[in-house]
Amino acid sequence: MTAKQPLLSVQNLHVKVEDKEILKGVDLNIYAGEVHAIMGRNGSGKSTLSYTLIGHPRYVVTEGKILFKGVDIVEMTPDQRARNGMALAFQYPVAIPGVSVSNFLRASVKAIRGKDVPVKEFRQELKAQMKKLGVADEFLGRYINDGFSGGEKKRIEILQLALLKPALAVLDETDSGLDIDALKIVSEGINNLSNPETAILLITHYQRILNYVEPQFVHVFQDGRIVKSGGGELSKELEARGYDWVLQELTSSAVS
Amino acid sequence: MSESKLINTFARERVDNLASQNGEPSWLKELRVSSWEAYLQTPMPTGRDEGWRKTEIDSLDLSTLNAIDLSTKNDLKAKLPDWFETALTFFDNHSGVVAEVGHSSISAKLSADLVSQGVIFCSIKQALHDHAELIRPYLSKIGSDQKFVLMNKALFNSGTFLYVPANVEIEGPFVSLTHFTSLNGAPNGVAIFPRLIAVLGKHSKASLVNVLSSEQGKESKSSSRSLANALVEVHVEAGAKFEYLELQKFDDNVFAITRTHNQVEQDAVIKSLTVAIGGSQLKGDIVTVLNAHGASSDLQGIVLGDTDEHYSFNTIQKHNAPNTTSNINFRVALKGNAQSIYQGIIEVAKVAQKTAAFQSNKNLLLGAEARADSIPKLEILADDVKCSHGATVGPVDREQIFYLMSRGLAAPEAEELIVTGFFRQILEACTIGRAKEWVYDVLAEKIHQV
Ligand SMILES: Nc1ncnc2c1ncn2[C@@H]1O[C@H](COP(=O)(O)OP(=O)(O)OP(=O)(O)O)[C@@H](O)[C@H]1O
Ligand SMILES: [Mg+2]
Repeated sequence: MTAKQPLLSVQNLHVKVEDKEILKGVDLNIYAGEVHAIMGRNGSGKSTLSYTLIGHPRYVVTEGKILFKGVDIVEMTPDQRARNGMALAFQYPVAIPGVSVSNFLRASVKAIRGKDVPVKEFRQELKAQMKKLGVADEFLGRYINDGFSGGEKKRIEILQLALLKPALAVLDETDSGLDIDALKIVSEGINNLSNPETAILLITHYQRILNYVEPQFVHVFQDGRIVKSGGGELSKELEARGYDWVLQELTSSAVS
Repeated sequence: MSESKLINTFARERVDNLASQNGEPSWLKELRVSSWEAYLQTPMPTGRDEGWRKTEIDSLDLSTLNAIDLSTKNDLKAKLPDWFETALTFFDNHSGVVAEVGHSSISAKLSADLVSQGVIFCSIKQALHDHAELIRPYLSKIGSDQKFVLMNKALFNSGTFLYVPANVEIEGPFVSLTHFTSLNGAPNGVAIFPRLIAVLGKHSKASLVNVLSSEQGKESKSSSRSLANALVEVHVEAGAKFEYLELQKFDDNVFAITRTHNQVEQDAVIKSLTVAIGGSQLKGDIVTVLNAHGASSDLQGIVLGDTDEHYSFNTIQKHNAPNTTSNINFRVALKGNAQSIYQGIIEVAKVAQKTAAFQSNKNLLLGAEARADSIPKLEILADDVKCSHGATVGPVDREQIFYLMSRGLAAPEAEELIVTGFFRQILEACTIGRAKEWVYDVLAEKIHQV
């Protein structure tokens, strides 16, 4: 153990969904101040990892550990994990008709901060963040994700994280479906989440967002585990050469 | 409660007494008596009758009930229930409040403007006294063969009358309260028979909030049942617009049987919201008759049940004329062992071509033992109609719960937010004052109760 303890330490994580093993031994350490990216083919298990981190009941940990701030969180409910400082921006956020964005934001900010924020103060903070992310006022009165376009959903996810200020933000394909301008704005939002006390785990298919949000570590996900890790340059190499290259390299190194 | 008021309800004598003690005109007595005779001729419904499924009507022992007279004295200083005082703050632009709280009756102070336009808003007793000839036709306009409607027509002794003359448009809502104490300390339950009549003259416009409630008792529900048998008759004449909100909030020893009949004439519009949030058994029929070309109705319903409350609502959308539209949106959420059955009937007469009739019923089951049934029934005789109905029954969406929990909300908080949201979508349709905020609060309060 180094002097510094990782913010998140995933150790030999195996996860089953409906009796099918999806994660097959994930190892990943993330320290405060770091930005990590995970790339990998469709269906390789990236979202499964993100759901498991935040504690979706459908994903059952069969082996291994998830240490967050040094504590094993596998038995914790999602709300406990959230209050502990973890947040996930979903690839497919669900709609909740009848629950307005503003009501929900207030409730969740209150839950995470452990105290009610005065209405006026909250509105100011909210308005400032909305402005940064280019979210129009009318969204406050709309129902969560109900009828939102793909890009709007992603912006609102980042808006929530901006208010909740998690120690670890997991972003599952937050860049998918964003137009060029939105990508820039949302990337800035993501960068604003990052500081020496926090860390970001970004799941993406595209090099483009990594031009704005620069990871120090890039991991390649394949068949339920991380098969290759490298620095920021790895993503460019992946973009140029595709996933087959990683796999070929893996098999050839295994052979040699 | 004086002994003299406790006369067994279900005797012809009672009908006679009502007529004489209120100094009612002979024609009214005749109306009461003929309703009474028809009542006697009509068999008591049973739990096997389609409209009374799951109501446990068989458990209601009429012979033990004592009818009580509400509003026997005018008392402007009578104490209103605290929650009703709170409710009134949401209707600060109201046009008048009529309240019957036990024996006390509070009459509305209408503005000189409304009075000069001929608007009437008062207790039904006062209307029978002061406006007998005006109200007279409306007492028998809507016929019925329903046992409990006939019972009400024979025995009604409280309630409200609203009369809006032709072409008068009124912004602020009228508010009516009928509140009684269902536990009288005696071994027997009590019975009340409120009757509300609203008349919207041609091209008029008004709104009304009607609250039916009983004192939350300290005794357990093992004490005997009380009966609230309410009749609401609404006449929306040609070109008129009416918005109606009804709250049923009874104590858990009350068996409430309510029947609302909306008669909607040419190009007239009715919009209504019925909210049922308490009582031992609540059986409600909401009948809307679209009687002439261009008539339309938009009805919303909310049921929030808990413990072993029982709800049985039937809506009947009756299209009697061409080019009429009706919409019903009925939502139910049940905690504990609460049960609900919703029956939605759409009837389209042969002449009612170009009719549009929609019906939706959604049920959320929150308690493990809660149960909801939804039965649509379509009787469509015309061939050129647009008609749809849909129903869902199920628990709260686990993915929604998970989403809220992942943002820090504990499971019960998450569920509460989703359930109030479920109703909020319906409340949006209600445009009376700040009614939707009030109802939202009332619902949230009940959800909080364990
Ligand atoms: N509830 C489920 N039931 C059955 N299989 C599931 C379930 N959830 C995930 N899986 C399977 O697990 C595998 C990994 O899915 P996951 O969503 O984690 O992939 P992903 O890497 O995020 O893919 P993408 O890049 O397309 O988002 C897939 O084969 C998927 O079908
Ligand atoms: Mg995914």
